[in-house]
Amino acid sequence: MKKQTIQKNTGHIPQPVPEPAPLHHEEKTGSLTEDQPGLHGGSPDDRHDIAGRPFWSGSITIGLVNVPVHLHTMVRDKSFSFRLLHRDDAQPLRYDRVCTRDGKVVPWAETVKGYEVRKGEYVVIEPSDLKAIAPVSDRKIRIEKFVYSLSLDPVHFGTPYILTPDRSEEAYSLLRTALVDLGRAAVGTITLRTKEYPVVVHGYRGGLILTTLRYADEVTSPDAFEAITRLPVPREAELELARRIISDLSGDFSIADYHDTYREAVEKIVNKKLAGEKIVYESPHPEEAKELMQALKETLAALQGK
Amino acid sequence: MTGTGGPAHGQDAWGALSRAHFTNLKKILYPLPGITKQQVLEYYIRIAPKILPFLNNRPLTMHRYPDGISGSEFYEKNAPRGTPGYVEIFPRSSETAGRQVRYVLCNNLDTLLWLANLASLELHISLSTTGSYESPDFLLFDIDPEPPLTFDDVIQVAHIVRNHLGNEGLVPYVKTSGKKGLHIIVPLVPGYRFDMTRAFAHRIGKAIAKDTPHVVSEFPHSRDPGTIFIDYLQNAQGKTMVAPYSLRGSPEATVSTPVNWEELITGVRAEDFTIRTILSRDKEPWRELFDNRQKIGD
Repeated sequence: MKKQTIQKNTGHIPQPVPEPAPLHHEEKTGSLTEDQPGLHGGSPDDRHDIAGRPFWSGSITIGLVNVPVHLHTMVRDKSFSFRLLHRDDAQPLRYDRVCTRDGKVVPWAETVKGYEVRKGEYVVIEPSDLKAIAPVSDRKIRIEKFVYSLSLDPVHFGTPYILTPDRSEEAYSLLRTALVDLGRAAVGTITLRTKEYPVVVHGYRGGLILTTLRYADEVTSPDAFEAITRLPVPREAELELARRIISDLSGDFSIADYHDTYREAVEKIVNKKLAGEKIVYESPHPEEAKELMQALKETLAALQGK
Repeated sequence: MTGTGGPAHGQDAWGALSRAHFTNLKKILYPLPGITKQQVLEYYIRIAPKILPFLNNRPLTMHRYPDGISGSEFYEKNAPRGTPGYVEIFPRSSETAGRQVRYVLCNNLDTLLWLANLASLELHISLSTTGSYESPDFLLFDIDPEPPLTFDDVIQVAHIVRNHLGNEGLVPYVKTSGKKGLHIIVPLVPGYRFDMTRAFAHRIGKAIAKDTPHVVSEFPHSRDPGTIFIDYLQNAQGKTMVAPYSLRGSPEATVSTPVNWEELITGVRAEDFTIRTILSRDKEPWRELFDNRQKIGD
């Protein structure tokens, strides 16, 4: 109830307070962050313009040819993230860097990066160390070769980004059309901030997209599992049955058939709270079906007849 | 999300028939044949008159597949939290676990439906009943092949077991396990102990193994490739057997099915007996089983 009055006053969910600058740049494979667009997935005001401004500009470089491009976000993680609040006054909580020895807050200026070599043992890495090995960010997507699109293994795909021409419509169109005609994709690297990523550039729905790739040693092969290397060869009769079942159930795939029902349910709760409605939580809803009722009636009759 | 039943009067009509309630009816439990929880529930409702006599007063082990057979699965001996009041419980202090086990007894239709709604696809029963829990009333031969031997080989061995038991004046009953093997049962008069049934089954197994290629009667060889193991060790306190007419967590939704010895000829397959075929099956070979309790030697 307390929280609801706060929400009514502002008409909004309390906005996340901007996080302090990241201590170290933690990049997961495939998540390129040049100018972090400041997204906190799921918060209602983050309706970021899909076809909006690019977060990176540079050029695709093939030998001596340059095609200037912009890079745009293509996928958005729409899963919900909650902000932790103080129950008493609904104020957002902040995370502090606390020394594990004395429990005191440590100012940013007194921090340094460490690499854990053994449990509890660190090698201190100075910013100058990292600067020395940082790749040169020259705003280029360097293409090294062209491969058949179908020869790329989807398990290595990271995050896709949309490329748009940067006053280079003709060259962009030429590259896209040629790639699509030949069924090829361009493989190369991009350097963003401090890291170099392997990427693939390929035609997709009239445009070019760039997809980050995972390194070979980041992907486990199924044959690392003994249970898989020792699979028996199926018997022909069983295989025939399995084939029949599969063909019977074959259909066209449409991702639009799937919804994040959890997110929808959370959105519903949020909207109801915003509207000041009282929320009644239902225990899992008992379901019935006519067929089951009919079957049950027949069984009860049979059991009584015994 | 609302149920398919709609307004309150639907619930009242249901409530007049059963105390059990269902959830997630549309959930797919068997992805290959596309069988939903509703179909599983309908199966257990319709098979109830046949399966309930075999569940009655036998402590159950539930084999649950909450997300279907391709999801995670687990065995459960204890009545879970939230077990409704109409479910009968058989408390036993377990010597090995050093604590009490609260076994579920499926002694009524509502309990069967509750179990099915928990996605306890497989129901495993003890070989004795609560009235004389230390005393088995089923003698069990559990026969399983190791590849490359197949179900056809198991069928042949089962007939050999039947002949041996016949020589002892016994009339055994047989069912598919629903997986790779067969279960042969002799229903017993009261008074036996598990060490007696175990010794008897072991003796028969050894006699057959001596004269029959591929058949093994001893545990250390039970998983040797190209063998068929006649498992006598299942005749023990706390061991279970999948109930006749129980579904199995197999891709084809097979059912552990009582069969006639005459039906059991080479070429019959465990996969012929599934959730889709059992309800229309008119044979009921174990119907008289409890009227034919027998004595074994030793």
